[in-house]
Amino acid sequence: MRLAAGAFIGGAVSRLLPASIPFRFFGAAVVYHLLAWIALGADSQRVPRFAGGLAWPLAALHLVTLGVLAMTAIGASLQLLPVATRQPVLSRRWPAAIWWLYTPGVAAVALGMGIPAPRLLAGGAIAVVAALAAYALLLARNLIGARGMPVVIAHCWAALASLIVVLASAASLAGAYVAFPAIERGMALAWHVSFAAYGFMGLLALGLSYILVPMFALSAAPDERRARVSLSLAVAALLLSAAAASGVAALPLRIAAIGTAAGAAALHWQLMSVALRTGMRRQLGLSFTLVRTGWWMLAASLVAALGVVLEAPFAGMAALFGLLLIGGWLLTFLLGILQRIVPFLASMHTAPGRRLPRTPSSLTAERPLAIHFSCHLAALALLAVAILADSPWIAFAGAAVGTAGALAFGTFFAIVVRRMSIPGVNGNRREAPAS
Amino acid sequence: MSARGFDGPLAEGRRWVEADGVHIDVRGLQPPGPLVAILELVESIRDATPVIVHHERDPQLLYPELAEIGWRAVRLDAEAGEVRLKLERVP
Repeated sequence: MRLAAGAFIGGAVSRLLPASIPFRFFGAAVVYHLLAWIALGADSQRVPRFAGGLAWPLAALHLVTLGVLAMTAIGASLQLLPVATRQPVLSRRWPAAIWWLYTPGVAAVALGMGIPAPRLLAGGAIAVVAALAAYALLLARNLIGARGMPVVIAHCWAALASLIVVLASAASLAGAYVAFPAIERGMALAWHVSFAAYGFMGLLALGLSYILVPMFALSAAPDERRARVSLSLAVAALLLSAAAASGVAALPLRIAAIGTAAGAAALHWQLMSVALRTGMRRQLGLSFTLVRTGWWMLAASLVAALGVVLEAPFAGMAALFGLLLIGGWLLTFLLGILQRIVPFLASMHTAPGRRLPRTPSSLTAERPLAIHFSCHLAALALLAVAILADSPWIAFAGAAVGTAGALAFGTFFAIVVRRMSIPGVNGNRREAPAS
Repeated sequence: MSARGFDGPLAEGRRWVEADGVHIDVRGLQPPGPLVAILELVESIRDATPVIVHHERDPQLLYPELAEIGWRAVRLDAEAGEVRLKLERVP
C-alpha cells in the first residue's frame, strides 16, 4: 500500500488530534503573548519595583503564565504525549471544551487584575481552575498505563502534582480578593510561585525536553539514570520550598531548596548539552539560541531567588527575580521550542496535494522569527536595565520592543497556518545526500 | 573518533541486507532512538536502495524528517504488532 501525499503519515493521521485542537491553543498563546507586552506597557510606572498587588503588571504576568505558558503546554502535551505514552487522548471533545472554558477565563483573570475588578478576577479564576482541573484529569488518564519513556512520564506526574498545588493556592489567592481565603496568604503565595513556575511549568519543560531536544538534534536518548536524579532533586527542592513556606526554619530550608534546584538544573543542562553536542543535526538556528538563553536564565533565576531569600539590599530584587524566571527562563525557552514544533506539527496536517506533503522548512517563516528573536532579547535586556536603574521609561521601551517582537511572532504563526492549508511543492526541501 | 566526539552510531538498530533493500529493525529502542537510527541509515545511502523499517508502532515523528530530505514512506503488509515501512527516495 503506497501512502498518497495527503495521507503521507498513514495511520498517524488517525491517531493525531485534529490540527484545530493544538493550533487553537497555540493561536490563543500567540494572541495572549501580544496582550501581555501591551499590558506591561500600560502601567510601566510600576514595573521596576513591582512586587505584587492588583495592577497591569500582575495582569501581564498572568497573561504570560496562564495565557502563553500553560496554554502552549496544554496544546503541545495533548498532541505530543500520546506519542510518548502510546495511548490516544481520552476524548477529542474534552480538549476543545477545555479551550472554550480556559481562554475566556484567562482574559477575565487578566482584566480583573488590571482594571482591577475582584469579582471579574474571581469569576475568571473559577473558569481557569475548572479548565486546568479538567486538563489534569485528561493528562492523568493518558499517563495511567503509559508505556515507554519513563523519565518523561515521571516528570509529567510531578508536574501534575504541582498543578494541583497551584490550583489550590490560586483558588485561595483569588478567593482572598472577594473575602474567601482558604490558605494563609503568605503561604499560598509562596506555594503558588514555586509550584507554578518551577513545578508545573518547569517540570513540564524539563520533561518534554527529553523528547524534543534529542528529536530536533537527532541525538540518542539522554542518560535515564541522570535524568531521574535531576527529577528527584527538582522534586526535593519543591518540597523544601513548600516546607519553608510554613515558617519553620524558613531561611535554611529556602537556601537548601535553591541549592537542590541548582543541582537539578545543572544535571539537566549537562544532559541537554550532550544531546546537542552529539546529535546529527548541529545547525539548530535561532530557536535553539533562545532555548540555550532560557537555560542560562534558569540558572540566573536561582541566583536572584537567593538574593530574595537573603533580602539583598536592592528594592527591585523581586521584580528582577520574576523577570528572570518567567520572561528569561520559561517564556524564552517556550518561544524557542514553539517556533520549531509549530511547523513540525503543521507538516503532519498539511492539505492533500499531488506531490509530497509540505515540509517543516517550507512552512516556517524565517524573517519574522529573526525579528522576534532580536526584539525578544532586547525587550528582556531593557526590562532588566529598567529594574536596575528604577526607570519606568526604559520599562516602557522594553514593553514596546516586546510588543513588536510579539507581532513578529504572530506573523510567523499566521504564515505557518496559511501555508499548511495550501498544498504545494517543497521549495525549501533540504537536499538528500547525492546519489 | 567521529566528528560527534565518539565512535559508532547514535542509536543501534539491527541491520541486514536482502534483495528488496537494506532492512533495519528498531523495535525495543527508546525514543528517539528509532527516529535517529532510521535517519542515520537513510542519510548514509548514496543510491536508490530502499530501506525496509521494522517498527513496533507508526513512527509519526519520522515522516516530516523524511519529507525534509526528499524521501517518502510506503506501508507494507506485516504481522500483527509490527509496522513495516518501505522508505524510498522521491524521484
